[in-house]
Amino acid sequence: MRRLWFPAAIVGLIVLIAALAPLLPLMDPVRQDVANRLAAYVPGSPMGRDEFGRDVMSRLIWGARSSLAVAFASAAIAAVIGTALGLLGGWFRGLVEVLAIRGADVVLCFPPVLLALLVVTLLGPGTGTLILVLSVLYLPGFIRVSFAEVLSARGQDFVEAVRALGARTPRILLRTVLPNIAGPVLVQVSLAVASAVVLESGLSFLGLGVVPPTPSWGLMIRGARATMEQAPMLLLWPCLALTITILAMNLLCDAVRDVADKRGGGGAPKLRLVDRLLPGLFPAPAAPQPLLDVQGLTVEIAVPGGIIRPVDDLGFRLDAGRTLAIVGESGSGKSMAATAIMGLLPPAARVAAGVARLDGEDLLRMPEDARRKLRGGAMAMVFQDPMSSLNPVHRVGDQVAEAIRAHREVPAAQASAEAVALLKRVGIADPERRARAYPHELSGGMRQRVMIAMAIANKPRLLIADEPTTALDVTVQAAILDLLAELRREEGMGLVLITHSLGVVAEVAEDVVVMYAAQVVERGPVDQVFARPLHPYTRALLAAVPDGDAEPEGIPGVVPRPDRWPPGCRFAPRCAFATAACETPPPLEEVQGQAVRCVRWRELSA
Amino acid sequence: MSEPLVVAEQVEMSFAPRGILARGRPVRAVAGVDATVARGEALGVVGESGSGKSTLGRLLLGLLAATGGAVRFDGQALPKPGSAAWRALRARMGIVFQDPFGSLDARRTIGAQVEDGLAIHTNLSAAERRAQLTEMFVRVGLDPQRLGAYPHEFSGGQRQRLGIARALATNPDFLVADEPVSALDVSIQAQVVKLLAELRRDLGLAMLFISHDLPVVRHLCDRVIVMYLGRVMEEGPVAEVFARPSHPYTRALLSATPMLDPARRLTREILPGEPPSPTNPPSGCVFRTRCRHARPECAETVPPLREFGSAAHRVACIRADEIN
Repeated sequence: MRRLWFPAAIVGLIVLIAALAPLLPLMDPVRQDVANRLAAYVPGSPMGRDEFGRDVMSRLIWGARSSLAVAFASAAIAAVIGTALGLLGGWFRGLVEVLAIRGADVVLCFPPVLLALLVVTLLGPGTGTLILVLSVLYLPGFIRVSFAEVLSARGQDFVEAVRALGARTPRILLRTVLPNIAGPVLVQVSLAVASAVVLESGLSFLGLGVVPPTPSWGLMIRGARATMEQAPMLLLWPCLALTITILAMNLLCDAVRDVADKRGGGGAPKLRLVDRLLPGLFPAPAAPQPLLDVQGLTVEIAVPGGIIRPVDDLGFRLDAGRTLAIVGESGSGKSMAATAIMGLLPPAARVAAGVARLDGEDLLRMPEDARRKLRGGAMAMVFQDPMSSLNPVHRVGDQVAEAIRAHREVPAAQASAEAVALLKRVGIADPERRARAYPHELSGGMRQRVMIAMAIANKPRLLIADEPTTALDVTVQAAILDLLAELRREEGMGLVLITHSLGVVAEVAEDVVVMYAAQVVERGPVDQVFARPLHPYTRALLAAVPDGDAEPEGIPGVVPRPDRWPPGCRFAPRCAFATAACETPPPLEEVQGQAVRCVRWRELSA
Repeated sequence: MSEPLVVAEQVEMSFAPRGILARGRPVRAVAGVDATVARGEALGVVGESGSGKSTLGRLLLGLLAATGGAVRFDGQALPKPGSAAWRALRARMGIVFQDPFGSLDARRTIGAQVEDGLAIHTNLSAAERRAQLTEMFVRVGLDPQRLGAYPHEFSGGQRQRLGIARALATNPDFLVADEPVSALDVSIQAQVVKLLAELRRDLGLAMLFISHDLPVVRHLCDRVIVMYLGRVMEEGPVAEVFARPSHPYTRALLSATPMLDPARRLTREILPGEPPSPTNPPSGCVFRTRCRHARPECAETVPPLREFGSAAHRVACIRADEIN
């Protein structure tokens, strides 16, 4: 709201002064006084007198009346009629669309000033003519903007929902569609008003607008031009008034649009993942060196309210040829952890602590140059949405070949041949033909196979797959999971699988890390954790899966926002077993190959 | 007892390419489907992308006018979309959408949106509407104090509750829920499924529950139909279909569903190839191009749904007896 009052106050003041002009103690704006012609200052005329000795301040204020009346009236007429036509054209399509939209396109073909000149010449100058001309000129803009917005709004579910409730068309258009197109229309109003003020002044300047002696800003500029060398200030005042009015209008419309937009989003901090590693939290492993060893990974993001930690003290180990799954609800920080390990954190996020060793080399402290060499080489990543991860304008075969050549110096022909072999390797039938296809010509499952082909192009030792099958149908998911398992077995890769599906974890992974609100709450071998979950959250999550005969049970509440985490156990507010002891942060305890972060795990599993 | 609340007979929906310059064949999203939903019954519709399950839901609601066959609601043929009779019928049917974000208007208060149905279909005063609204909010587990809030202030699960409240505000007889829990976390899914089950029991709702998640359907529904490329492959009581899936496609679907409990897992059957294009479906059985039991005769005629095992369990496969 704060952004609104300032421009609103300026616009309000300008309009108020113009509206109250007859009541203000001003001199008659048309009374001439040749004796004081071009006087810089006369008592009662702080801005001086013009070429006929008329009071400049009075003319400025009375001029605002005609300038603003023309601008607002024409913008309002154009907005109402144009938005209505755009709404109808966009909603009914067909003939209405042809008439409204193509009609508007015809008007757009005329140069605006020429059109204005033509109409004014035909109808004669005057305020009424000006309003007519300007309304017609601004009409197409409103039709176009509202038409485009209606087209995108009418496909939305919430419009379909109101239609499904049996609302009549006028109700749908006015109550549902109109508020959703109001933002762009308001911006268009601001542009129209501002440009109408300028055009009015221009036409009046040319003698085609407001008829003298009625004051208007355009006429004042016209008059002042003739005496520019004797009295330059006369030019300044109307120009200044024009500039301030236009700027204030633009500011106001921006602010109104922001306030009218109830979609939110600006206020709540966006969840970003920042990983930090706190070395030494875990006892140094005596076992042989694992493929990937993550300890104390903590990611921080600075937000307006302070610092949030979307990943807090994450640790796990992955051996070559094995699969580790990271599970958790939305907002648990699992994807951010993966991007931190890959060195792909968004700019706002940074690793605050921890280590992530790939074959003993700390990924988090290595120069970006060295890490780039590893990415797509020794470590690779597959994302959830293959459509947005593939470049739509290049053939998929070329993209796979590019992935090869980014890391190895091979001739183009050899890279292409390898790309076809890789596509075959990931189970794409007829790989020679498919290599020449563009991403949109492939199904979702095939695109994901292409992504996997790119990821394994340089025989990575570590593959991180972030929800690789979430967007796919179950039968396709099954095929992709089988492919990943096969590649891991045959190439000896380590696979980190990030997923929210416990069923997928149970079928594919050997080890599991359960994350909740940025922390590891439980970790261990999948069979052990799923058969004997120690943490109440793991238990609740398993009970929510509808696989078994028991009625699935939900977990009350939602994952809290990163800036609202409870000081103690973060799951406590949703936990059926929470007690006073849960108000202090529980440590991660190691028990028989499993790790659990719960102060009551012993009594609860007894 | 009269006929079921909703009856679809050989209902068909083809989408023709639009526009003057459009070319190509029409897409037959639903190709001759029979379906009934009795009062108080929950019918599950499962299938993958492109199976026509969402289109079937909109046909039964009358939001789309079928290009073939007929749909009857409460004994009457569905009126033309947009007509006065059609609008009046909206009060007796509701729809819940998949996307908890796109299905609510971000620029109107949730109270106003849930109230829409009452404002359109009843002559209740504002105070009476408010009272009903409060009651509906409590019923779906939302705080009635927050009627004036905007959708962005709510989580995904709460928004689905809002969508359900909006669909049920006029106390309809029939609800179509189109993947209502697919976009939610598993812990939230269970809450919403439970709410739907409760509402169905308490209000005696007939429900069409569209989903690709078979375990959820098993818990919530009485009967299920399995669709592939616009046709019904198998239908029957959920217990029977899940215990004895008899169409090769149903089996592939069930075997692909990840299961927590190793004892429940079926031997994985990976479907070869890609789903065929709905503009050019295979002749005969539409599943035959990916079926490992396919024979030349499968290409000849469209297999009819035949009783298999029990009267209510029907399978569209000419080899059902041999392969089971």
